[in-house]
Amino acid sequence: MIEIVDLYKTFDKVHVLNGLNLHVREGETKVVIGRSGAGKSVMLKSLAGILRPDSGSIRIGGVAVARTREFEEVRRHIGLVFQGGALFDSLDVGENVGFVLDEFTSLSTAQKRTRVRHALSLVGLGGIEAMMPSQLSGGMRKRISLARVLCMEPRIILYDEPTSEVDPVTADAIQRLIIAMRDRLKVTSIVVTHDMNTAYKVADSMAMFYHGQVIADGTPEEIRTSRHPVVRQFVNGEADGPITDDESMKFGHVK
Amino acid sequence: MGRKLVSRANAVVNGFFRYVGKLAILFAGILRAAVTPPFNGYRFWVQAMRCGPGSFLIVCLVALFVGMIIALQLAYIMTKLSADIYIPNIVAVSLARELAPVLTALIVAGRVGAGITAEIGSMAVTEQIDALKAFAVDPVRYLAVPRFLALALMLPVLTVFAVLVGIFGGFLICHFKLAITPHMYWTMVFDALTVKDVVTGLTKTAFFGMIIAAVGCFEGLNVTGGADGVGRATTMTVVRAFILIIMFDCLSTFIFYFLFNA
Repeated sequence: MIEIVDLYKTFDKVHVLNGLNLHVREGETKVVIGRSGAGKSVMLKSLAGILRPDSGSIRIGGVAVARTREFEEVRRHIGLVFQGGALFDSLDVGENVGFVLDEFTSLSTAQKRTRVRHALSLVGLGGIEAMMPSQLSGGMRKRISLARVLCMEPRIILYDEPTSEVDPVTADAIQRLIIAMRDRLKVTSIVVTHDMNTAYKVADSMAMFYHGQVIADGTPEEIRTSRHPVVRQFVNGEADGPITDDESMKFGHVK
Repeated sequence: MGRKLVSRANAVVNGFFRYVGKLAILFAGILRAAVTPPFNGYRFWVQAMRCGPGSFLIVCLVALFVGMIIALQLAYIMTKLSADIYIPNIVAVSLARELAPVLTALIVAGRVGAGITAEIGSMAVTEQIDALKAFAVDPVRYLAVPRFLALALMLPVLTVFAVLVGIFGGFLICHFKLAITPHMYWTMVFDALTVKDVVTGLTKTAFFGMIIAAVGCFEGLNVTGGADGVGRATTMTVVRAFILIIMFDCLSTFIFYFLFNA
Protein backbone atom coordinates (compact mmCIF):
# COMPACT_ATOMS: atom_id res chain seq x y z
CA MET A 1 0.00 0.00 0.00
CA ILE A 2 2.74 2.47 1.04
CA GLU A 3 6.25 2.00 -0.24
CA ILE A 4 9.09 4.34 0.66
CA VAL A 5 12.40 3.68 -1.08
CA ASP A 6 15.75 5.38 -0.42
CA LEU A 7 14.27 8.63 0.81
CA TYR A 8 16.62 11.53 1.51
CA LYS A 9 15.73 14.94 2.92
CA THR A 10 18.12 17.63 4.04
CA PHE A 11 17.41 20.93 5.79
CA ASP A 12 20.27 23.46 5.73
CA LYS A 13 22.91 20.75 5.26
CA VAL A 14 21.33 18.70 8.07
CA HIS A 15 20.44 15.17 6.97
CA VAL A 16 17.04 14.34 8.44
CA LEU A 17 16.12 11.41 6.21
CA ASN A 18 19.12 9.40 5.19
CA GLY A 19 18.10 6.64 2.78
CA LEU A 20 14.85 5.69 4.46
CA ASN A 21 13.03 2.51 3.39
CA LEU A 22 9.62 1.57 4.75
CA HIS A 23 6.76 -0.65 3.62
CA VAL A 24 3.22 -0.60 4.99
CA ARG A 25 0.67 -3.23 3.96
CA GLU A 26 -2.97 -2.39 3.19
CA GLY A 27 -5.14 -2.28 6.32
CA GLU A 28 -2.12 -2.40 8.60
CA THR A 29 -1.34 -0.02 11.47
CA LYS A 30 2.39 0.66 11.39
CA VAL A 31 3.84 2.44 14.40
CA VAL A 32 7.01 4.42 13.84
CA ILE A 33 9.11 5.09 16.92
CA GLY A 34 12.32 7.02 17.42
CA ARG A 35 13.70 10.01 19.28
CA SER A 36 12.72 13.59 18.51
CA GLY A 37 14.44 14.79 15.35
CA ALA A 38 14.73 11.27 13.93
CA GLY A 39 12.77 12.31 10.84
CA LYS A 40 9.41 10.75 11.74
CA SER A 41 7.31 13.87 11.18
CA VAL A 42 9.30 14.75 8.05
CA MET A 43 8.47 11.31 6.67
CA LEU A 44 4.75 11.87 7.43
CA LYS A 45 4.77 15.29 5.76
CA SER A 46 6.54 13.82 2.74
CA LEU A 47 3.83 11.14 2.52
CA ALA A 48 1.11 13.78 2.69
CA GLY A 49 2.77 15.75 -0.10
CA ILE A 50 3.55 18.73 2.18
CA LEU A 51 7.34 18.33 1.91
CA ARG A 52 9.20 17.29 -1.20
CA PRO A 53 12.06 14.86 -0.57
CA ASP A 54 15.50 15.54 -2.10
CA SER A 55 15.63 12.07 -3.63
CA GLY A 56 14.07 8.63 -3.38
CA SER A 57 10.52 7.60 -4.08
CA ILE A 58 7.23 7.24 -2.26
CA ARG A 59 4.42 5.24 -3.83
CA ILE A 60 0.95 5.01 -2.36
CA GLY A 61 -1.25 2.34 -3.87
CA GLY A 62 1.15 2.25 -6.80
CA VAL A 63 0.89 6.02 -7.42
CA ALA A 64 4.03 8.10 -6.98
CA VAL A 65 3.84 11.06 -4.60
CA ALA A 66 4.38 13.95 -7.00
CA ARG A 67 2.64 16.99 -8.40
CA THR A 68 0.38 15.00 -10.68
CA ARG A 69 -3.39 14.82 -11.04
CA GLU A 70 -3.22 11.12 -10.26
CA PHE A 71 -1.60 11.80 -6.90
CA GLU A 72 -3.94 14.72 -6.17
CA GLU A 73 -6.81 12.21 -6.36
CA VAL A 74 -4.98 9.80 -4.03
CA ARG A 75 -4.06 12.66 -1.71
CA ARG A 76 -7.69 13.49 -1.07
CA HIS A 77 -8.01 10.16 0.71
CA ILE A 78 -4.91 10.57 2.88
CA GLY A 79 -5.64 12.18 6.23
CA LEU A 80 -2.98 13.66 8.48
CA VAL A 81 -3.81 14.09 12.16
CA PHE A 82 -1.44 16.79 13.36
CA GLN A 83 0.30 16.76 16.72
CA GLY A 84 -1.39 19.95 17.91
CA GLY A 85 -4.57 19.35 15.91
CA ALA A 86 -3.87 22.22 13.46
CA LEU A 87 -7.53 23.21 13.58
CA PHE A 88 -8.38 26.39 11.70
CA ASP A 89 -8.73 29.11 14.36
CA SER A 90 -11.19 31.20 12.41
CA LEU A 91 -13.65 28.34 11.87
CA ASP A 92 -15.84 26.66 14.48
CA VAL A 93 -15.70 22.92 15.14
CA GLY A 94 -18.45 22.12 12.63
CA GLU A 95 -16.76 24.16 9.90
CA ASN A 96 -13.39 22.59 10.71
CA VAL A 97 -14.75 19.07 10.49
CA GLY A 98 -16.70 19.82 7.32
CA PHE A 99 -13.82 21.76 5.73
CA VAL A 100 -13.08 19.17 3.06
CA LEU A 101 -16.77 18.81 2.23
CA ASP A 102 -17.03 22.58 1.73
CA GLU A 103 -13.93 22.66 -0.45
CA PHE A 104 -14.34 19.58 -2.62
CA THR A 105 -17.96 18.46 -2.68
CA SER A 106 -21.25 19.92 -3.79
CA LEU A 107 -23.27 18.34 -0.99
CA SER A 108 -26.24 20.24 0.38
CA THR A 109 -25.93 21.95 3.77
CA ALA A 110 -28.12 19.27 5.35
CA GLN A 111 -25.99 16.46 3.90
CA LYS A 112 -22.82 18.14 5.12
CA ARG A 113 -24.28 18.60 8.57
CA THR A 114 -25.15 14.90 8.71
CA ARG A 115 -21.61 13.90 7.66
CA VAL A 116 -20.07 16.26 10.23
CA ARG A 117 -22.31 14.95 12.97
CA HIS A 118 -21.42 11.36 12.04
CA ALA A 119 -17.67 12.11 12.07
CA LEU A 120 -17.94 13.81 15.44
CA SER A 121 -19.92 10.90 16.88
CA LEU A 122 -17.20 8.51 15.69
CA VAL A 123 -14.67 10.36 17.85
CA GLY A 124 -17.13 10.63 20.74
CA LEU A 125 -17.64 14.41 20.58
CA GLY A 126 -21.18 14.99 19.40
CA GLY A 127 -22.96 18.33 19.86
CA ILE A 128 -19.96 20.67 19.95
CA GLU A 129 -20.20 21.95 16.38
CA ALA A 130 -20.62 25.57 17.47
CA MET A 131 -17.55 25.67 19.73
CA MET A 132 -14.37 27.43 18.61
CA PRO A 133 -10.98 25.64 18.64
CA SER A 134 -9.72 27.99 21.37
CA GLN A 135 -12.39 26.57 23.72
CA LEU A 136 -11.17 22.98 23.33
CA SER A 137 -8.72 20.97 25.42
CA GLY A 138 -5.63 19.37 23.83
CA GLY A 139 -7.26 15.93 23.71
CA MET A 140 -10.44 17.33 22.15
CA ARG A 141 -8.41 19.16 19.51
CA LYS A 142 -6.71 15.91 18.52
CA ARG A 143 -10.04 14.11 18.29
CA ILE A 144 -11.61 16.94 16.26
CA SER A 145 -8.57 16.77 13.99
CA LEU A 146 -9.30 13.06 13.52
CA ALA A 147 -12.99 13.80 12.86
CA ARG A 148 -11.93 16.32 10.20
CA VAL A 149 -9.85 13.63 8.55
CA LEU A 150 -12.72 11.11 8.76
CA CYS A 151 -14.92 13.45 6.71
CA MET A 152 -12.53 12.81 3.81
CA GLU A 153 -13.44 9.09 3.92
CA PRO A 154 -9.73 8.35 4.12
CA ARG A 155 -8.05 5.17 2.97
CA ILE A 156 -4.88 6.14 4.83
CA ILE A 157 -4.58 8.01 8.14
CA LEU A 158 -1.26 9.40 9.34
CA TYR A 159 -1.07 10.21 13.04
CA ASP A 160 1.65 12.56 14.31
CA GLU A 161 2.19 12.02 18.05
CA PRO A 162 -1.51 11.34 18.73
CA THR A 163 -1.13 10.87 22.48
CA SER A 164 1.47 13.52 23.31
CA GLU A 165 0.46 16.21 25.83
CA VAL A 166 -2.77 14.47 26.89
CA ASP A 167 -3.68 12.78 30.17
CA PRO A 168 -3.58 8.95 30.37
CA VAL A 169 -7.37 8.60 30.18
CA THR A 170 -7.57 10.71 27.02
CA ALA A 171 -4.54 8.86 25.64
CA ASP A 172 -6.38 5.59 26.11
CA ALA A 173 -9.47 6.98 24.38
CA ILE A 174 -7.34 8.08 21.43
CA GLN A 175 -5.61 4.68 21.27
CA ARG A 176 -9.03 2.99 21.13
CA LEU A 177 -10.06 5.35 18.35
CA ILE A 178 -6.99 4.42 16.29
CA ILE A 179 -7.81 0.73 16.70
CA ALA A 180 -11.50 1.39 15.89
CA MET A 181 -10.55 3.22 12.69
CA ARG A 182 -8.59 0.20 11.54
CA ASP A 183 -11.24 -2.35 12.51
CA ARG A 184 -14.38 -0.45 11.46
CA LEU A 185 -13.16 1.60 8.50
CA LYS A 186 -10.35 -0.72 7.33
CA VAL A 187 -7.93 2.19 6.94
CA THR A 188 -4.18 1.84 6.61
CA SER A 189 -2.43 3.85 9.30
CA ILE A 190 1.00 5.12 10.23
CA VAL A 191 1.30 6.25 13.82
CA VAL A 192 4.36 8.28 14.75
CA THR A 193 4.99 8.27 18.47
CA HIS A 194 7.61 7.90 21.17
CA ASP A 195 5.06 6.75 23.68
CA MET A 196 5.76 3.00 23.94
CA ASN A 197 2.46 2.32 25.68
CA THR A 198 0.57 3.69 22.66
CA ALA A 199 2.93 1.92 20.30
CA TYR A 200 2.33 -1.56 21.78
CA LYS A 201 -1.43 -1.01 22.04
CA VAL A 202 -2.18 0.04 18.49
CA ALA A 203 0.59 -1.50 16.37
CA ASP A 204 0.27 -4.35 13.92
CA SER A 205 3.91 -3.77 13.12
CA MET A 206 6.57 -1.34 14.26
CA ALA A 207 9.60 0.38 12.79
CA MET A 208 12.31 2.28 14.60
CA PHE A 209 13.99 5.33 13.05
CA TYR A 210 17.59 6.16 13.87
CA HIS A 211 19.77 8.68 12.05
CA GLY A 212 17.09 9.03 9.35
CA GLN A 213 16.98 5.31 8.61
CA VAL A 214 14.91 2.33 9.71
CA ILE A 215 17.07 0.20 11.99
CA ALA A 216 14.39 -2.25 13.08
CA ASP A 217 11.12 -3.37 11.54
CA GLY A 218 8.87 -6.13 12.86
CA THR A 219 5.99 -7.09 15.08
CA PRO A 220 5.58 -5.35 18.45
CA GLU A 221 6.90 -8.52 20.09
CA GLU A 222 9.99 -8.56 17.88
CA ILE A 223 10.70 -4.93 18.70
CA ARG A 224 10.12 -5.50 22.40
CA THR A 225 12.61 -8.38 22.47
CA SER A 226 15.09 -6.91 19.98
CA ARG A 227 18.77 -7.34 20.79
CA HIS A 228 19.78 -4.25 18.84
CA PRO A 229 21.36 -2.01 21.51
CA VAL A 230 19.73 1.19 20.22
CA VAL A 231 16.28 -0.40 19.98
CA ARG A 232 16.65 -2.02 23.38
CA GLN A 233 17.69 1.24 24.99
CA PHE A 234 14.84 3.16 23.39
CA VAL A 235 11.99 0.72 24.11
CA ASN A 236 13.16 0.22 27.68
CA GLY A 237 13.61 3.96 28.17
CA GLU A 238 17.15 3.71 29.56
CA ALA A 239 19.49 6.68 29.89
CA ASP A 240 22.62 4.53 29.46
CA GLY A 241 23.42 3.14 26.05
CA PRO A 242 24.42 4.12 22.54
CA ILE A 243 21.87 6.94 22.42
CA THR A 244 23.41 9.70 24.48
CA ASP A 245 22.07 13.12 25.41
CA ASP A 246 24.86 14.70 23.41
CA GLU A 247 23.98 12.60 20.40
CA SER A 248 20.31 13.32 20.83
CA MET A 249 21.05 17.02 20.49
CA LYS A 250 22.31 16.26 17.01
CA PHE A 251 20.13 13.22 16.47
CA GLY A 252 18.50 13.17 13.11
CA HIS A 253 20.74 16.05 12.33
CA VAL A 254 23.86 13.92 11.80
CA LYS A 255 24.96 11.76 8.93
CA MET B 1 37.05 49.57 5.22
CA GLY B 2 36.05 50.67 1.71
CA ARG B 3 35.89 47.09 0.50
CA LYS B 4 33.77 46.09 3.49
CA LEU B 5 31.37 48.91 2.73
CA VAL B 6 31.12 47.89 -0.94
CA SER B 7 30.54 44.24 -0.06
CA ARG B 8 27.90 45.22 2.51
CA ALA B 9 26.16 47.43 -0.07
CA ASN B 10 26.37 44.55 -2.52
CA ALA B 11 24.70 42.22 -0.04
CA VAL B 12 21.92 44.71 0.64
CA VAL B 13 21.23 45.25 -3.08
CA ASN B 14 21.36 41.49 -3.75
CA GLY B 15 19.04 40.85 -0.82
CA PHE B 16 16.59 43.46 -2.09
CA PHE B 17 16.45 42.01 -5.60
CA ARG B 18 16.19 38.47 -4.25
CA TYR B 19 13.26 39.58 -2.09
CA VAL B 20 11.55 41.37 -4.98
CA GLY B 21 12.07 38.25 -7.13
CA LYS B 22 10.43 35.98 -4.56
CA LEU B 23 7.61 38.48 -4.15
CA ALA B 24 7.12 38.58 -7.92
CA ILE B 25 6.82 34.77 -7.99
CA LEU B 26 4.11 34.91 -5.31
CA PHE B 27 2.47 37.81 -7.17
CA ALA B 28 2.33 35.71 -10.35
CA GLY B 29 0.97 32.75 -8.39
CA ILE B 30 -1.78 34.90 -6.90
CA LEU B 31 -2.72 36.35 -10.29
CA ARG B 32 -2.82 32.87 -11.84
CA ALA B 33 -5.00 31.53 -9.01
CA ALA B 34 -7.23 34.62 -9.14
CA VAL B 35 -8.20 34.09 -12.78
CA THR B 36 -8.64 30.31 -12.72
CA PRO B 37 -11.66 28.53 -11.19
CA PRO B 38 -12.89 27.61 -8.63
CA PHE B 39 -13.75 31.11 -7.40
CA ASN B 40 -14.92 31.80 -3.87
CA GLY B 41 -16.88 35.03 -3.54
CA TYR B 42 -17.61 34.55 0.16
CA ARG B 43 -13.95 34.63 1.24
CA PHE B 44 -13.39 37.73 -0.92
CA TRP B 45 -16.42 39.42 0.65
CA VAL B 46 -15.22 38.68 4.20
CA GLN B 47 -11.81 40.19 3.47
CA ALA B 48 -13.29 43.20 1.65
CA MET B 49 -15.46 43.98 4.66
CA ARG B 50 -12.47 43.68 6.96
CA CYS B 51 -10.15 46.00 5.07
CA GLY B 52 -12.70 48.47 3.63
CA PRO B 53 -15.22 49.52 6.28
CA GLY B 54 -12.69 48.54 8.98
CA SER B 55 -10.23 51.21 7.77
CA PHE B 56 -12.81 53.82 6.75
CA LEU B 57 -12.83 55.93 9.92
CA ILE B 58 -9.07 56.14 10.40
CA VAL B 59 -8.51 56.96 6.71
CA CYS B 60 -11.13 59.73 6.83
CA LEU B 61 -9.73 61.14 10.08
CA VAL B 62 -6.19 61.32 8.70
CA ALA B 63 -7.41 62.76 5.38
CA LEU B 64 -9.39 65.48 7.17
CA PHE B 65 -6.34 66.64 9.11
CA VAL B 66 -4.04 66.38 6.10
CA GLY B 67 -6.45 68.52 4.04
CA MET B 68 -6.45 71.12 6.80
CA ILE B 69 -2.66 71.03 7.15
CA ILE B 70 -2.06 71.50 3.41
CA ALA B 71 -4.46 74.44 3.33
CA LEU B 72 -2.77 76.05 6.33
CA GLN B 73 0.75 75.51 4.99
CA LEU B 74 -0.28 76.92 1.63
CA ALA B 75 -2.00 79.86 3.30
CA TYR B 76 1.32 80.80 4.91
CA ILE B 77 2.99 81.43 1.55
CA MET B 78 0.03 82.07 -0.79
CA THR B 79 -1.37 84.97 1.23
CA LYS B 80 2.04 86.68 0.93
CA LEU B 81 1.73 86.32 -2.83
CA SER B 82 -1.92 87.36 -2.78
CA ALA B 83 -2.72 84.05 -4.43
CA ASP B 84 -4.76 82.45 -1.66
CA ILE B 85 -7.67 81.99 -4.05
CA TYR B 86 -5.67 79.16 -5.68
CA ILE B 87 -5.33 77.18 -2.47
CA PRO B 88 -8.45 75.05 -3.23
CA ASN B 89 -6.93 74.07 -6.60
CA ILE B 90 -3.67 72.92 -5.02
CA VAL B 91 -5.41 71.13 -2.16
CA ALA B 92 -7.64 69.21 -4.58
CA VAL B 93 -4.97 68.28 -7.09
CA SER B 94 -2.33 67.30 -4.53
CA LEU B 95 -4.83 65.17 -2.62
CA ALA B 96 -6.29 63.46 -5.68
CA ARG B 97 -3.01 62.78 -7.45
CA GLU B 98 -0.66 62.04 -4.61
CA LEU B 99 -1.42 62.52 -0.95
CA ALA B 100 -4.69 60.65 -0.56
CA PRO B 101 -3.54 57.56 -2.51
CA VAL B 102 -0.20 57.31 -0.69
CA LEU B 103 -1.48 58.12 2.79
CA THR B 104 -4.40 55.71 2.43
CA ALA B 105 -2.01 53.00 1.25
CA LEU B 106 0.36 53.59 4.17
CA ILE B 107 -2.49 53.50 6.70
CA VAL B 108 -3.89 50.31 5.21
CA ALA B 109 -0.40 48.75 5.04
CA GLY B 110 0.06 49.43 8.76
CA ARG B 111 -3.40 48.30 9.73
CA VAL B 112 -4.45 45.57 7.29
CA GLY B 113 -1.06 44.42 5.92
CA ALA B 114 0.29 43.80 9.42
CA GLY B 115 -2.94 42.01 10.31
CA ILE B 116 -2.64 39.74 7.28
CA THR B 117 0.89 38.74 8.25
CA ALA B 118 -0.05 38.17 11.89
CA GLU B 119 -3.01 35.99 10.91
CA ILE B 120 -1.26 33.92 8.24
CA GLY B 121 1.95 33.76 10.30
CA SER B 122 0.05 32.36 13.29
CA MET B 123 -1.50 29.80 10.97
CA ALA B 124 1.97 28.85 9.74
CA VAL B 125 3.47 28.31 13.20
CA THR B 126 0.48 26.22 14.35
CA GLU B 127 0.70 23.98 11.26
CA GLN B 128 -2.61 25.25 9.84
CA ILE B 129 -0.91 26.03 6.52
CA ASP B 130 0.44 22.46 6.47
CA ALA B 131 -3.09 21.26 7.21
CA LEU B 132 -4.36 23.12 4.14
CA LYS B 133 -1.66 21.48 2.02
CA ALA B 134 -2.48 18.08 3.52
CA PHE B 135 -6.08 18.57 2.36
CA ALA B 136 -4.77 19.41 -1.14
CA VAL B 137 -5.90 23.02 -0.70
CA ASP B 138 -3.53 25.59 -2.18
CA PRO B 139 -2.73 28.17 0.56
CA VAL B 140 -2.16 30.86 -2.09
CA ARG B 141 -5.63 30.35 -3.56
CA TYR B 142 -7.30 29.95 -0.15
CA LEU B 143 -5.55 32.72 1.79
CA ALA B 144 -3.77 35.12 -0.55
CA VAL B 145 -6.22 35.54 -3.45
CA PRO B 146 -9.21 36.86 -1.40
CA ARG B 147 -6.97 39.33 0.44
CA PHE B 148 -5.28 40.43 -2.77
CA LEU B 149 -8.55 41.08 -4.61
CA ALA B 150 -10.15 42.71 -1.57
CA LEU B 151 -7.29 45.18 -1.15
CA ALA B 152 -7.02 45.89 -4.88
CA LEU B 153 -10.72 46.81 -4.88
CA MET B 154 -11.13 48.48 -1.49
CA LEU B 155 -8.06 50.72 -1.55
CA PRO B 156 -9.35 52.84 -4.49
CA VAL B 157 -12.75 53.08 -2.73
CA LEU B 158 -11.09 54.26 0.49
CA THR B 159 -8.99 56.71 -1.52
CA VAL B 160 -12.09 58.28 -3.05
CA PHE B 161 -13.39 58.98 0.46
CA ALA B 162 -9.96 60.23 1.55
CA VAL B 163 -9.90 62.73 -1.33
CA LEU B 164 -13.40 63.99 -0.55
CA VAL B 165 -12.79 64.31 3.19
CA GLY B 166 -9.35 65.87 2.63
CA ILE B 167 -10.82 68.50 0.32
CA PHE B 168 -13.47 69.15 2.95
CA GLY B 169 -10.67 69.66 5.50
CA GLY B 170 -9.15 72.21 3.16
CA PHE B 171 -12.54 73.88 2.86
CA LEU B 172 -12.78 74.33 6.65
CA ILE B 173 -9.51 76.29 6.68
CA CYS B 174 -10.22 78.23 3.49
CA HIS B 175 -13.71 79.23 4.62
CA PHE B 176 -13.13 79.98 8.30
CA LYS B 177 -9.53 81.23 8.16
CA LEU B 178 -9.22 82.77 4.71
CA ALA B 179 -12.85 83.80 4.19
CA ILE B 180 -13.17 82.05 0.83
CA THR B 181 -16.88 81.48 0.17
CA PRO B 182 -18.15 77.90 -0.17
CA HIS B 183 -19.28 78.55 -3.71
CA MET B 184 -15.87 79.91 -4.67
CA TYR B 185 -14.04 77.07 -2.94
CA TRP B 186 -15.97 74.26 -4.64
CA THR B 187 -15.87 76.04 -8.01
CA MET B 188 -12.08 76.28 -7.78
CA VAL B 189 -11.83 72.64 -6.70
CA PHE B 190 -13.88 71.29 -9.58
CA ASP B 191 -12.19 73.62 -12.06
CA ALA B 192 -8.80 72.30 -11.02
CA LEU B 193 -9.62 68.61 -10.91
CA THR B 194 -9.60 66.69 -14.16
CA VAL B 195 -10.61 63.11 -14.87
CA LYS B 196 -6.93 62.41 -15.53
CA ASP B 197 -5.99 63.44 -11.97
CA VAL B 198 -8.57 61.15 -10.43
CA VAL B 199 -7.76 58.23 -12.75
CA THR B 200 -3.99 58.39 -12.15
CA GLY B 201 -4.56 58.56 -8.39
CA LEU B 202 -7.00 55.65 -8.27
CA THR B 203 -5.02 53.45 -10.68
CA LYS B 204 -2.01 53.71 -8.40
CA THR B 205 -4.00 52.73 -5.33
CA ALA B 206 -5.21 49.49 -6.90
CA PHE B 207 -1.55 48.52 -7.34
CA PHE B 208 -0.72 49.70 -3.81
CA GLY B 209 -3.42 47.35 -2.57
CA MET B 210 -1.89 44.46 -4.49
CA ILE B 211 1.55 45.28 -3.06
CA ILE B 212 0.23 45.37 0.52
CA ALA B 213 -1.56 42.04 0.10
CA ALA B 214 1.40 40.34 -1.60
CA VAL B 215 3.90 41.53 1.03
CA GLY B 216 1.55 40.66 3.91
CA CYS B 217 0.89 37.16 2.57
CA PHE B 218 4.54 36.54 1.64
CA GLU B 219 5.80 37.46 5.09
CA GLY B 220 3.02 35.46 6.77
CA LEU B 221 3.54 32.32 4.69
CA ASN B 222 7.29 32.40 5.37
CA VAL B 223 7.14 32.86 9.14
CA THR B 224 9.46 30.63 11.15
CA GLY B 225 10.21 30.47 14.85
CA GLY B 226 6.94 30.79 16.75
CA ALA B 227 5.47 33.95 18.26
CA ASP B 228 8.79 35.79 17.97
CA GLY B 229 8.86 35.03 14.24
CA VAL B 230 5.30 36.29 13.81
CA GLY B 231 6.24 39.57 15.53
CA ARG B 232 9.30 40.03 13.35
CA ALA B 233 7.39 39.23 10.16
CA THR B 234 4.65 41.72 11.08
CA THR B 235 7.22 44.48 11.51
CA MET B 236 8.90 43.52 8.24
CA THR B 237 5.57 43.69 6.43
CA VAL B 238 5.00 47.29 7.47
CA VAL B 239 8.57 48.36 6.66
CA ARG B 240 8.76 46.56 3.31
CA ALA B 241 5.26 47.55 2.22
CA PHE B 242 6.04 51.22 3.01
CA ILE B 243 9.26 51.10 0.97
CA LEU B 244 7.67 49.29 -1.98
CA ILE B 245 4.64 51.62 -2.01
CA ILE B 246 6.83 54.73 -2.12
CA MET B 247 9.09 53.17 -4.78
CA PHE B 248 6.12 52.14 -6.91
CA ASP B 249 4.59 55.59 -6.45
CA CYS B 250 7.77 57.20 -7.74
CA LEU B 251 7.89 54.82 -10.70
CA SER B 252 4.23 55.30 -11.59
CA THR B 253 4.58 59.09 -11.34
CA PHE B 254 7.46 58.91 -13.84
CA ILE B 255 5.42 56.68 -16.13
CA PHE B 256 2.33 58.87 -16.01
CA TYR B 257 4.38 62.04 -16.44
CA PHE B 258 6.67 60.97 -19.26
CA LEU B 259 4.53 58.47 -21.16
CA PHE B 260 1.03 59.83 -20.72
CA ASN B 261 1.86 63.44 -19.90
CA ALA B 262 -0.45 63.08 -16.90
